This record gives sequence, structure tokens and C-alpha cells, in this order.
Amino acid sequence: MRGFNVLLQKEFREAWRSWKFLWIPLVFALLGMSDPLTNYYMKDILNAVGNVPEGFEMLMPELMPVDLLQGSIGQFQTICLLVLMATFVGAISKERASGMATLLYVRPISFSAHFMSKFIVMSTVGFISILAGFAASIYYTVVLYGTFEIGPLVACFFTYFSWLLFVIAVTLMMSSTFKTVVATTCAFAVIFIGQILDSLVGTFWTISPWKLPLYGVQLMRGTMEMSDYWWSLAITLVISIICVIIGILTMKKNAPTTKI
Amino acid sequence: MEELAKVPWAVIAPLIVVQFILMIVALVDLRKIHATNGPKILWVFLIIFTSYLGSIAYFIVGRKQS
Repeated sequence: MRGFNVLLQKEFREAWRSWKFLWIPLVFALLGMSDPLTNYYMKDILNAVGNVPEGFEMLMPELMPVDLLQGSIGQFQTICLLVLMATFVGAISKERASGMATLLYVRPISFSAHFMSKFIVMSTVGFISILAGFAASIYYTVVLYGTFEIGPLVACFFTYFSWLLFVIAVTLMMSSTFKTVVATTCAFAVIFIGQILDSLVGTFWTISPWKLPLYGVQLMRGTMEMSDYWWSLAITLVISIICVIIGILTMKKNAPTTKI
Repeated sequence: MEELAKVPWAVIAPLIVVQFILMIVALVDLRKIHATNGPKILWVFLIIFTSYLGSIAYFIVGRKQS
């Protein structure tokens, strides 16, 4: 891990200068706010925009605070993951394409240090982002609906963070293996088509990384089968580590393809 | 003014503030950056007039990494 600290500083500085530490958490916060708010003002929104017929009666479901957190996590699962992955999918492949990697690869740095520095910066951004997103969602839920218990909430947060680590590992692995365009397609396919498949035919199995965000919510509801949870968590972490190792190896293998 | 007083500001204010910060950040970055994908003035209008989607789009596809 030669030069790890230097590389880490470089990555942090780059992420800071391109405002990544600021705008990605803001996007997460916005989307975290949107779900409790739209649910709370649903009647007003329908009255304002919809052609609600005269005498139209609608029974709104009685929402628990957990339901709103689940809604917010649903938001994170689509748009926020898209944003996070789209920003970082070029982290390694774009460096190769622009020739910046040449400047790095001629120096005696280890590839694992280079890869891990990117991984750590990306997961830091992810951590701050979901912290902001959860905080925004919880703020509105507490103001408008009711309170949470703190213990399960923290568990849910870290469950979601381990899912995010999986997403980040897959994204960086694709980035180091392929060119940017192919990497984007593959990473999106794995994460989003995986989610769709899991929601369509996922009833046949109970252990998969894609189920982890849902399990985090079920943990709060207290309806979780704990053995399924631990197995899913373990498998997610193992797959993430495998992705990181593959990423480092392919980064080394693809080093000659960098543009000079 | 009475209408304004009726708005629940404790609920609405954080949302507006966050959107505003996002917009300002995008505009400041646009001011500093050397070149963008597409004309700069287009991004100014997109950021100002499309609440937060414009800013997100700018940060993802608008910035040209040299």
C-alpha cells in the first residue's frame, strides 16, 4: 500500500474541488424530504392539480413513521443511486481515457492503494449522503408524523450503508474493468435490473444483497427473520470484498491500455 | 400578507433552503469552470428554472473534466 495517504489526499481534494461532498448530500436530503412531505400534503396536492370530481371522497391510509422512511429509502434506491453511480462510474476508466492515469502509473504506487483510495472517498461521500438523506427524512417524519426508536433506526442506517458499499464496490469494479460507457451500462444493469428481478421473482429466495434495504426497514418494524438478515449481510460484504479484489486485479491488467 | 402567514414555514423552509443552496453551488461552479458540455448560458437557465433537476443534470453531464 505504498503512497496510500498521498493518493487518499489527492482523491479527497479532487472530490472536494468538484463539490461532490456538497451536492450529492444535498440531492439525498431533497429526495429524503420529498416523501414525507408529499404524503402529508397528498390531499392538498390532489386538490390543486387533479381534476377531482365534486363529492369525491378518498380514504387516506394511516401512515406509520416507518412507512415514510421506507418511502424515502425507495427514493434513494432509484434516483440517488443513479446520481451516485453516474458521478463515480468514470473514476478509473475516465482517468485511463484522458491519459491522467499515465502520470500515476509511471510512479511506484501500488494498484491496491490507488483503488482503495477511490473506494474510501466514494464510500465517505456515500456515508455523508445517506446521513443527510436520513436526517432530512427523519426530521420531516418527526415533525409531521411521529417519532422513531433510536436503536432500530441506527441498525437500519448501517444496513443501508452496507448495501451502499456493495453498490460502490460493483461500480468501481466495472469502472476498472471496462471503458466508461460499458462500465456505466454494466453497473446500472447489475444494480437496477437486479432490483427489478428481485422484486419480481424475489419471493423464491430470502438471501440476496438486493433485499438488504428492505430488510433494514423490516428490522425497524420488528418483523425480520434474523438468520436471513445476517446471511444477507454476510453475503453482501463478501461479494463487496470480492468485487474490490477483482477491481484491483483488472486495474493492474488494464494499466497498459491507458492513453499516453 | 395573511396568506403568507398561513404557510407552515417550519415545514417548507428547509426544503426551500436546500434547493436554494444546491442552485447557488451549481451557479458558483458554473462561474468558475472553464468549459461546459453545451453552451454555458443554457446551463444557467436550466439551473435557475428547473428546481433541482437542472442542478443535478449540470453536475452529472454538464461539467467537462479536462
